[in-house]
Amino acid sequence: MMLFVNARLVDPATGLDEPGALRIADGEIAEMGGHLTTKEHEQVIDVKGAVLAPALIDLRCAADPGSTGVQGVKAAAHAAAAGGIATLCLAPDSGDGLYRPEDFNTVNAAASNSPVRLHAAAMAVNSRNGVTEIGLNLRAGAVLVGDGGAPIADSRLARNVLAYAGGFDAWVSLRPEDPGLSRDTVATESDLAMRLGLPARPALSEAIAIRRNTALVNLTGARLILDRVTTSAGIEAALEARSNGLEIAVTTPISHLIFNTIDTGGLDARFRLDPPLRSEEDRLALIEALARGRIDAVVSDHRACLDESKARPFPEAAPGSATLEALLPALNTLAQDSGLSLAEALKPVTCGPADILGLDQGQLTEGAPADLVIFDPDAPVVYGRGKMQCTSMSAFKGRRLLGRRLITVVRGAIVHQMEN
Amino acid sequence: MERTGFTYDFPRDSLLSVGDLNPLDVQMIFERARHHFDAARHNEENTRTLAGLTQIHLFFENSTRTQASFEIAARRLGADVVNFIPGNASISKGESLNDTALTLAAMRSDILVVRHRAAGAAAHFARVTGVPTINAGDGAHEHPTQALLDAFTLARRWGGIGGKRILIVGDILHSRVARSNISLLNLLHADVRLCGPATLLPADADRWGVSVFHDIDEALEGCDAVMALRIQKERMTGKLTPSDREFATLWGLTHQRLERAAQDCLIMHPGPINRGVEIDEALADDLDRTVILEQVESGVAVRSAILELVTGRAPNQSIADMRTHDVDDRRDEA
Repeated sequence: MMLFVNARLVDPATGLDEPGALRIADGEIAEMGGHLTTKEHEQVIDVKGAVLAPALIDLRCAADPGSTGVQGVKAAAHAAAAGGIATLCLAPDSGDGLYRPEDFNTVNAAASNSPVRLHAAAMAVNSRNGVTEIGLNLRAGAVLVGDGGAPIADSRLARNVLAYAGGFDAWVSLRPEDPGLSRDTVATESDLAMRLGLPARPALSEAIAIRRNTALVNLTGARLILDRVTTSAGIEAALEARSNGLEIAVTTPISHLIFNTIDTGGLDARFRLDPPLRSEEDRLALIEALARGRIDAVVSDHRACLDESKARPFPEAAPGSATLEALLPALNTLAQDSGLSLAEALKPVTCGPADILGLDQGQLTEGAPADLVIFDPDAPVVYGRGKMQCTSMSAFKGRRLLGRRLITVVRGAIVHQMEN
Repeated sequence: MERTGFTYDFPRDSLLSVGDLNPLDVQMIFERARHHFDAARHNEENTRTLAGLTQIHLFFENSTRTQASFEIAARRLGADVVNFIPGNASISKGESLNDTALTLAAMRSDILVVRHRAAGAAAHFARVTGVPTINAGDGAHEHPTQALLDAFTLARRWGGIGGKRILIVGDILHSRVARSNISLLNLLHADVRLCGPATLLPADADRWGVSVFHDIDEALEGCDAVMALRIQKERMTGKLTPSDREFATLWGLTHQRLERAAQDCLIMHPGPINRGVEIDEALADDLDRTVILEQVESGVAVRSAILELVTGRAPNQSIADMRTHDVDDRRDEA
């Protein structure tokens, strides 16, 4: 049993934000309230006014179940624990891709000694442009299936994937990008990208793909996750489809809520991301959508790249950035800068993704799993300074953010604790 | 129910679609088929009702079983059978379908049996030639004799089909057998269910008077018979379904799965079976459950009956004072 006192309890599921205490027992939230009396043999932790919220759920993290290095699942799981994330969902394109039910043996093995809860999504299409063994993958533990970030060009295949997966009532995650328009490009079309001579795609490429994919959802009755919507037109297209009653979830990467295409101006490979960074108008539209509760999940979109794959000219560098330890402070900073309540800002990293995956965690309720994060929302931090779990290249390196993580609790046990 | 003082003649000179039949037609086919079925089982001498007729088989798609079944049915009744194999003949020399049809008509054949990959092909031949035509499969459209032999097999076992729950599982989308069966079983008042991967079910199949399932264990609940359809290997490579093992695991019929079905649930398959895919080995060999060979046996009897009826050669062709328990028992209950 453990009792946290002097906490600011924040529950995005109910909008609760008030001082109080919270007791955990047997891996669950046992009791919460204004004042709780200490019980015998109970560990009492005075969090001194810090925020106590449900630990984060990250719906998209690419980490290799077969690697023991910086790109591996173990490294990601420890970075997640340090980042206040208790549930990590591996992307279908993790490692060499999770295609077959056998591939989940490695994931399940990694999950059994991971500090955080580990889930994984399966690839829905194979290298021969066919549907994968979606039924068997779901039985093996896949929580959803997707294209793994490589948009499906053939509309008939996309239809078959949606129909087939829909037969199992599974979520299908598709990357909304027009394959033709985006092929071989590394940036979003803009005056700047043109001056830099970068091969670029129009931002509209995203909305075009969303319109096709949502039309196919209408045809097949599947459930679609729009994997990393990053443009204003994309958000609009998604909303329109949703207003027609389609079951569509929208995710957005944390990086695209913080950075824009100007950040690519120095041709710094750290900002080589996929999807590429967008215009400031797009970024503001994403924040607006976040404030209006239109984004179901903000994802870390973490992808640790080897230094050598980033030590190249911008267009040739590997896309991706380490973000697990930036997710919470970046969202907290965004909330403070844009006047969002903390509960609203945390919704798409707690109860939002929990609702999609049907998880019990992600909320402060008696009986819910004791997956918690405690952090000081007003403490300034500089990403990359001090002790970092993930040392891989990050767009956030040197970024000043608010919110120092103190304690992460998973299944009622402290898995990460900041010194002091 | 008795229909005394009422006579009914089999009105058709072709069999192109189950949709052309009414319950009385089906009744007549079944009664005559039952005669042939019993006669064959008791090694009775065949009546040469089709003597003097020439039957031409026009199989543009490969077929062994259906073609043999039609041939045996016709020969037993004394007809001459000519197998016209378009692949080896004039078609490959560039002759158009219509020319082929007119050539055959000019040979004064009495019956055409047609199988072709295009929907509507048999009807097209019937129209162009004016010769009584039996559809032995036109694309994914219809295979009426298969549906009739399936229903006959069940009716012979059960006495009637009305009210029975019958599940069709597998590749419904590309199956003419499924389409004909759905029409016929609905006509006979069965409770028809379909099950398969969403990619192998036709869009809007729920409007076909059937219940549609993706989960076979749910679909099997209380079923009196299950028709497994053949999965074409070329459709198992990921375009529509990912693999044999996924299909077998999620939709394959096993003894264990059948525990949810009715106790004496019958297993049917139009053949040839992919053992271990649609039906697992042990179940395929379980003669208490499968009626697959009985379907083949019924096939000859049903086709004999149809050949007689469309040529007007069936003895006592008109039915009078007929008991219609096969088709009408459910109506009686209601």
